[in-house]
Amino acid sequence: MTRRLFLKYTTIFGAYLVGVFSFPLRLWGVVADKSSGGKSGSGKSRIVLVRNSAVLTKNKEVNPSVAGEMINSGILSLTRESTSGRAWKSIFKPKDIVGIKVNALGGKQIATHFGVVKAVVSGLKSAGIPEENIIIWDRLTKELKSAGYTINKSDKGVKCFGTDTNYDPYPEIAGSIGSCFSSIISSFCTALINIPVLKDHDLAGVSLSLKNFYGAIHNPNKYHDNNCDPFIADLNTHSYIKDKLRLVICDALTLQYQGGPAFKPQWAINYHSLLLSRDPVAIDRMGTELIEEKRKEKGLSSLKKAGREPVHIATAAKKGLGTDDLNNIEFVKL
Amino acid sequence: MGGDYTRRDFFKYLSQGLCSMGLASRFGMPSHDLWKLISPSHALAKEEPPLKEVSFYKKLPDLKIQCEICPKKCEIADLERGYCGNKENRKGKYYSLVYGESCAAHVDPIEKKPLFHYLPSTKAFSIAAVGCNFECKFCQNWRIAQYRPEQVESGSLSPKEIVSLSKRNECSTIAYTYSEPVVFYEYMYDTAKLAKSEGIGSVMISNGFINEKPLIELCKQLTGVKIDLKAFTETFYKDYCSGELKPVLDTLKTLKKIGIWYEIVVLIIPTLNDSESEIRKMSQWIKKELGVEVPIHFSRFHPMYKIKNLPATPIKTLENARKVAMEVGLHYVYLGNVQGHKGENTYCPGCGEMLIRRIGYHILQNSIKGDKCPTCKHVIAGVWEKI
Repeated sequence: MTRRLFLKYTTIFGAYLVGVFSFPLRLWGVVADKSSGGKSGSGKSRIVLVRNSAVLTKNKEVNPSVAGEMINSGILSLTRESTSGRAWKSIFKPKDIVGIKVNALGGKQIATHFGVVKAVVSGLKSAGIPEENIIIWDRLTKELKSAGYTINKSDKGVKCFGTDTNYDPYPEIAGSIGSCFSSIISSFCTALINIPVLKDHDLAGVSLSLKNFYGAIHNPNKYHDNNCDPFIADLNTHSYIKDKLRLVICDALTLQYQGGPAFKPQWAINYHSLLLSRDPVAIDRMGTELIEEKRKEKGLSSLKKAGREPVHIATAAKKGLGTDDLNNIEFVKL
Repeated sequence: MGGDYTRRDFFKYLSQGLCSMGLASRFGMPSHDLWKLISPSHALAKEEPPLKEVSFYKKLPDLKIQCEICPKKCEIADLERGYCGNKENRKGKYYSLVYGESCAAHVDPIEKKPLFHYLPSTKAFSIAAVGCNFECKFCQNWRIAQYRPEQVESGSLSPKEIVSLSKRNECSTIAYTYSEPVVFYEYMYDTAKLAKSEGIGSVMISNGFINEKPLIELCKQLTGVKIDLKAFTETFYKDYCSGELKPVLDTLKTLKKIGIWYEIVVLIIPTLNDSESEIRKMSQWIKKELGVEVPIHFSRFHPMYKIKNLPATPIKTLENARKVAMEVGLHYVYLGNVQGHKGENTYCPGCGEMLIRRIGYHILQNSIKGDKCPTCKHVIAGVWEKI
């Protein structure tokens, strides 16, 4: 056998081995990331609502220990694991670089509460993810600051900053969307946690999980026509979002049922709740139900009658991003 | 239209302008460092842009507003922005976020706008602010037009400073260009008004997507306008620009009614807006509604932004468009982005004599006397002397 033949055969054999062993591994990875915890035994998308009226103090600050307990019980119920560490590890791997997308647009009173995010960071650390591999982010640093976040762009600790000017140099196309993505989502993170708030939106109907990723592109202002449909759904089909999103936690400590996206105290109530799911469509559908319920209670018309039915949720379901069928959603209240 | 204008270009061009004022040599440092020295706070990402209340909008219930600058008529809730992305509703008041903030500044030949019948061989101090009310998939300056103010590093340049820089750079005109000036209306208006009082003209290089009332007010301060007519079908405007054709045609009619000088540019894109029938219909409409004297420039497309799957426009296609427009009877039909082509020259409609010979933005010969052809005395439409 010549040297050339030897190299040829070892290369072919090596490629065969890689093929044989990587295929099932890859398959396992997909199953682990997409299904476990996200679906109930019956194949339904599971949503966990955790409520605790002690989570907000009289000054409307988050009680960190109560928030921690809520996140802990929520993640245990969602994953059906026995310990917090195992629950987080069932979703995240120690080598993940996790981006926590918050919603800071409306200022401190209607933004993702930092206290909730802190509890999530603790959970990630229990899965073995180092602080340095966690980034809390939104569109603008200044919006994060005004929502009460402490900015950290250093190498040490949990990072926290906005995309600001750091967008990819060229647009990516996803259906009707053509946008430059935040380099945080395209180049930095391997996994995403989306922590939107539970609020009404003037054009999209609601601004929950799916809409929150408008903060990941350079030109969201171009995609508000037709109640943001099909733009929101199309955006969420992009692999940067679809393939990286592992967990959605809707910060429903406050629920605003009218007048969004800015904070309107006359239409906001303390709701003391968190919703957890791995299905962004299901959580948006259920969040919409909660908003509609409150609107009805307060004598307001439905979002549809108000001319802003959140049709993007149904579109997202049609595009295979999750389910909007209440019969296929398992809603667990703790 | 001259390709992308990035932050780097902006610094470069502004520095060049300042160099010509002698500032760089005075400080004895490389020109790019000069910017930091002049305006360090604005050279970095801004915490809060300066605010200027928008001139045309109406208040709606629940702190909403409706913008009345352009036909989009965006209804905007508190804390939200319009389609242009550079104006924001703050508690029921609508503010421009780009007033006094230029993302590009350059001294250009007026031919670059292009304006071929407007003070040839003069210079235009050209500025832009971030934003646009269209989203053309072939946008040539998308890195400033299709972004939001916080995403592009701009420099502080007040109307007074623009006028001052224009004078010091011997510019007869200030051009509001590169992005879409309609969406920085207040900045443009105030600068043009001040410039007018100091004997400097102002030209708007625009897509023409503006409501009649603000247009009429604005034209009182302007001396010329160039309109990009993107195509002659509503479908094209909707599918490729997120806009509408009719309001642009209305703008052209209003400009004619007002009597201000204006020229039209049509970017010809292979297979999308280059059919002979479309060019013919467009030319016939121009002849009927605007007259044969309005110059029209058929410009060459190059792959850009979201349309990269089409080739650059073949020269033959442009030549055909010119031929059709001239057959219809338009007097001044030019080709753009085709350096050295005879379609860059101005010919007398009376006797056919070549009056202005151009290569790109450079004028090699201009034999117009006053406003007339020296041979047959045909009056050549345009602005030939400073207003």
